Amino acid sequence: MKKISLMILVMIIFGSMGCAGAEEARVPVIGINQFGEHASLDNCREGVVQGLLDAGLTEGEDFTLDYQNAGFDTGIATQIAQNFSANQVALMVAIATPSATASYAAAEDKDIPVVFTAITDPVEAKLDQGNVTGTSDKLPVEAQLDLIRQMQPEADTIGILYTTSEPNSVSAIAEYQLHAGAYGFSIEAIGVTQQSEVTLAADSLISKGVDCFSNLTDNNVVGVLSSVLEKTDAAGIPVYGSEVEQVKLGAVAAAGIDYFELGRQTGSMVARILLGEATADEIPYETISEYGIYYHSDALARMGLVLPEELLAKAIDVAE
Amino acid sequence: MNVLLDLTIGILTQGFMYALLSYGVYITYKILDFPDLTVDGSFPLGAAVTAVMLTRGVNPYLTLPLVFVVGALAGLLTGWIHVKLGIRDLLAGIITMTALFSINLQIAGSNLIVDRSVDTLFTAAPTMLLLGSFTLIQRKLMVTFLVALVFKILLDLYFKTKNGLLLRAVGDNSVLVTSLAKDKGRVKIIGLVIANALVALSGALVCHEQRAFSSTMGTGQVVFGLATVIIGATLFKKWGFIKGTTAAVAGSIIYKACIQVAISLGLPANLLKLITAVLFLVILVYGNRRKEQVSGHA
Repeated sequence: MKKISLMILVMIIFGSMGCAGAEEARVPVIGINQFGEHASLDNCREGVVQGLLDAGLTEGEDFTLDYQNAGFDTGIATQIAQNFSANQVALMVAIATPSATASYAAAEDKDIPVVFTAITDPVEAKLDQGNVTGTSDKLPVEAQLDLIRQMQPEADTIGILYTTSEPNSVSAIAEYQLHAGAYGFSIEAIGVTQQSEVTLAADSLISKGVDCFSNLTDNNVVGVLSSVLEKTDAAGIPVYGSEVEQVKLGAVAAAGIDYFELGRQTGSMVARILLGEATADEIPYETISEYGIYYHSDALARMGLVLPEELLAKAIDVAE
Repeated sequence: MNVLLDLTIGILTQGFMYALLSYGVYITYKILDFPDLTVDGSFPLGAAVTAVMLTRGVNPYLTLPLVFVVGALAGLLTGWIHVKLGIRDLLAGIITMTALFSINLQIAGSNLIVDRSVDTLFTAAPTMLLLGSFTLIQRKLMVTFLVALVFKILLDLYFKTKNGLLLRAVGDNSVLVTSLAKDKGRVKIIGLVIANALVALSGALVCHEQRAFSSTMGTGQVVFGLATVIIGATLFKKWGFIKGTTAAVAGSIIYKACIQVAISLGLPANLLKLITAVLFLVILVYGNRRKEQVSGHA
């Protein structure tokens, strides 16, 4: 009895590993290694699929997707990448830096192309050469500063919360500090080391009397943005987001990235590689050239702010 | 079958890298009966130190002994807080772990990625000279296996020395140690030092393999270590001759295999941890039932 149950267990284990590989001979499999689930990363993934469809590819006929997310665990991201590598997927799509690093480490040996997205600085992440390409979500910092200046002509200080261990955030802060002076702002940045410290740091920023918050795409901060917004709403301080999802949550406005569009741009790169038009090696990584102005009319009204006429024309209201 | 072979190589490589962490937890939890939470800090400490040294051009082989020493210091700190300052075991570990979070970030600056042009343990000249004909994946397996094996043998030898026997006595019967006119506090510190040196070494190997350090990579490593030690011990209870270190390696491999199975099953990504938990449960229940069966025959 015991032996039979053990045998069944072993059969399930090996069967599950083996069958994944059996399908691949027919349709190329795209392995998607997403670091975790949050709205921006999900949008990215949906954008990638849209980009593939736009290129005239059909899911099920021209490609199949194997989507895995690591639940923000670097160790699991590694194992997902190894699984893709062992199953000889046609291509890996990696969403966010830790997944990209893990995917490239596993793909390198077999020369499987890796296409990343949602990485701020591919050079810093050492993903700028080899059989790897993708899109960068570098923030349009100057556009954001310009937006804030137009919305709040009297403002002096911009408060920013960020995680000290996230290279994306650290480089964004440097960018802010570089350009703030030109727009007449000073930057008050508070670094945290983990998510539980974010709301405490928000309290501290509010107490320092900043005129507004500007948000990065910092994973820790975005994860608890709602509770930060509760505090800033109570204090009457407007928060500017860095992408559309943050505005949907209640940030007043953003000059930011549409992650769906970023994903779509990535998807078209994936399509080119799948169709054999170019290799990942040949395609340089791209930084999203377009940014959108998004605003939340309810949040604006709450803060007593208005969007200048010239911005209103091209801006999108995300309030429901 | 190629898929299966590659997956197995991946699982074994992961298993051997993390086996060093399992040895560490085996020493503290199983031998010393000391729930050491330092692990969540000393594991990324090993990776942080390695990442910095590799980027600065330090010889990849030299990183290992240096990490060993740094990890030992982390263990020494926990031991000192516990034994000399009289802080409870759990709290002593928590204090060191918390402090290490900052120290790790201070060492590395922020999350660090090691450039591909930098040689690691798996690509350095001496490794290539010996194993250059194999693929990178195979080299990783061989090197990690070798490291895990060497430390297993060293530990098994150490446990037979007078010092090693004292270590085991502290966990089993600390009164005996005192009656032998030995300082059990000192023995505990030695155990923590060795354990955390091994844990840091595990972090170093992972950093070599991934070419990356992230400040959160230590989260959950204590739980992982405990699970591997318990899985190993449960499965091999029947065979008394199997050493604890061997069981720890096996536990580490099984844990990584469970995660890989959960990934391979292709179930909804959010259920990954749940499936892993169910697989553990099956293994533990299976192990326990066999134990009952054995005692039933006796």
